[in-house]
Amino acid sequence: MYYAGVDVGSRTIKVAVIDETGRQGIASGICDQGVRQAALAHNLFDQVLTRAKISRQDILRIVATGYGRNAVEWADTTVTEITCQAYGVRQQVADVRTIIDIGGQDSKVIRLDERGIVYDFVMNDRCAAGTGRFLEIVAQRLEMGINDLGGIAETAVRPSIISSMCAVFAETEIVGLLANEESPADLAAGVQRAVAKRMVSMLGGRINGPVVFTGGVALIPGMSRALSDALDRTIVIADTPQTTAALGAAMIAGAATERAERSNRPVSAGAHYLEGIR
Amino acid sequence: MIEAPLQISLEAWDEAYESSGAFIGRETCYGGSLGRHVKDGNTRLKHLLFDNSFAALNLWNFLLTEEDRLYRARYEGKILVGTMKDLGTVPVIAYAFPDVVAFYPDGAWWIPCLMEADEELLSIADNLGVNDSFCPVRAMLGAFVSGEHFPVPDILVCSVGATCDDFSAIAQRVEGLGHPLLWWEIPHRREPGAREAAVALPGGTKACVDQVEAVMVELDRVICALSDKAGVKLTDSMLSESIVHANKVRACLMELRHVVFTAKTAPLPSLELLVAEMMGLHYCSDRREVLSVLSGLLETVKRRVDAGVGFQGPEAVKVFWVNPVADLRVMNMLEESGGRICGTEYLFTHALDLIPTDLPAREALARVALADPMAGSALDRAARICNDIEKFKAEAVIISRIPGASHCALEGEVIREVVAACKNVPVLEIDVPSMCDTFQETLQTRLGALVETVREQRKGR
Ligand code: SF4
Repeated sequence: MYYAGVDVGSRTIKVAVIDETGRQGIASGICDQGVRQAALAHNLFDQVLTRAKISRQDILRIVATGYGRNAVEWADTTVTEITCQAYGVRQQVADVRTIIDIGGQDSKVIRLDERGIVYDFVMNDRCAAGTGRFLEIVAQRLEMGINDLGGIAETAVRPSIISSMCAVFAETEIVGLLANEESPADLAAGVQRAVAKRMVSMLGGRINGPVVFTGGVALIPGMSRALSDALDRTIVIADTPQTTAALGAAMIAGAATERAERSNRPVSAGAHYLEGIR
Repeated sequence: MIEAPLQISLEAWDEAYESSGAFIGRETCYGGSLGRHVKDGNTRLKHLLFDNSFAALNLWNFLLTEEDRLYRARYEGKILVGTMKDLGTVPVIAYAFPDVVAFYPDGAWWIPCLMEADEELLSIADNLGVNDSFCPVRAMLGAFVSGEHFPVPDILVCSVGATCDDFSAIAQRVEGLGHPLLWWEIPHRREPGAREAAVALPGGTKACVDQVEAVMVELDRVICALSDKAGVKLTDSMLSESIVHANKVRACLMELRHVVFTAKTAPLPSLELLVAEMMGLHYCSDRREVLSVLSGLLETVKRRVDAGVGFQGPEAVKVFWVNPVADLRVMNMLEESGGRICGTEYLFTHALDLIPTDLPAREALARVALADPMAGSALDRAARICNDIEKFKAEAVIISRIPGASHCALEGEVIREVVAACKNVPVLEIDVPSMCDTFQETLQTRLGALVETVREQRKGR
């Protein structure tokens, strides 16, 4: 038997399947988000199961997360990405105390206590500042792919100072800087620094290590270094930074089933993984 | 038998109202079904969930018929006092006069939400240069121009100084439109110096004697202006009698809050409690009736507590709420996310504290006015919030920011820091404009994550 997590994010959909021990990842998959997110999530789920050679009947329980979690009507329940992210990252870095997650259109900071339990979080999901979308807009303006930003930033001589964190204003600023003949390398490095600085302000000076970096932006070369420099501490990139929330959702599915079995109660569809919730 | 407390839709309320004869004989002149207010334009009601008690229906009906009462007062030749910004003090003076009715034009800030019509009032304000970089209370400006939501008051009295920059700017614009204002000043409340004589203020803060005296002088100007308008000289005993009445309303609200916050299971939804608390400010333009509305609600709540019934199970997460919301729907979302209200600080705690009766009436009112959370530092607000978190055993705090409100950007962080440091409970800041529909999912995620965080913490204990 297996458990699954489906993370319906703003830019991508992720699926993770774990085995019945509730710890071992079996399969995962990612696809781009689109207008028909419910169908896209369903297709991805089927693809992941086919690849792993398991059938839908083998999945004991499914938890959906992410901003589009309510679209996954076939999930047993939903849990927010804050909780799922914490479960998923803790599986990979057991003593994690701070999670910095930068996704396509949102960013968050999650703080965990010494027991690995979330005690505080901050989210930015209402503007593109400090998110993957911000980097994407800049990369387009510099006529390069988002993954090339890091490589070219390595060759920067004097990283540009980007003063605006608003994606729209920053684009205007970059046009001005290009007109002033600042090099794309300096601009790329400046933009990565600006995103990192934004995260520092979200952290508000309260940061405990280990710090784990998740989300699609963690995969962009140079970003973790920019973050590490801005925070002046070591940053660990999660093993699978894009799918940690889906993994956490699958683990929560497993934990709820295990708890129900221990108490001899059936896990009903829609039941919450946390005891006592209505 | 106690009816099981439920949160029901407008439709369900109207059906229950139609099919039940239970209300006959208990109804007031402002009674009727909730649905009738939708016909008056309050379409937001269709998206809210309401407490299913008769007392709550009474509360809503009373709130939503204030405009009728104001026009009736005008028709009856009563003096209408538009009291602005001070929240709670000037109405006590105004209602001390016979045939005077006070109300807050500020209350117009809920109109864009209730009528789901951002366009109208807010775009009038936009056109007058008061755009969305200001607090949504700018809807008041639109209401003065349109002349549709309240009768133009006979006199406008507005507090200024330490209270709120947004409001002062908007009120000046109102004055510029040809509505003269009587400004009275509240100084910034500060800790008395070592050599200054200190006085205790309701709610636990302090001020120096000079500041209290300065406010008394200002309130005297207000009293003189109202006396002139009303053609009646205000005596100390008239003012004391008004304070006694105000204290009855405040005591009722204090008890209501206490019962709601300490009950094992939530006996009243957060939305109805917010509406009830707001009514304490100016009695919703009927000083006598408000007491009956609030007492009815208190009675219902007590009956539910005695019967051990509530809206949620005892596992609901206890949340302390800071600042009022411009979109009422967000309060429903608290319960939908698995939270319950367990402490509030809506920027007018001074209007809930009892007015001292062992002091000369004018001095007592000056002290209450100075106790306004807006007149002191954010640290004072945070300290009171921390005390109440302790008292009511709240497990999380939500600070709802009012977009454009100048104080929110600064205070939120201060309150967050203090609460996180001394109470070790998660604090969530959210932005709540007049209509939240477009980012309802974002809000749901935040509230849901807060509830989950507390539940995870409980499990770890
Ligand atoms: S909500 Fe804040 S900014 Fe708006 S009027 Fe009230 S005190 Fe002023």
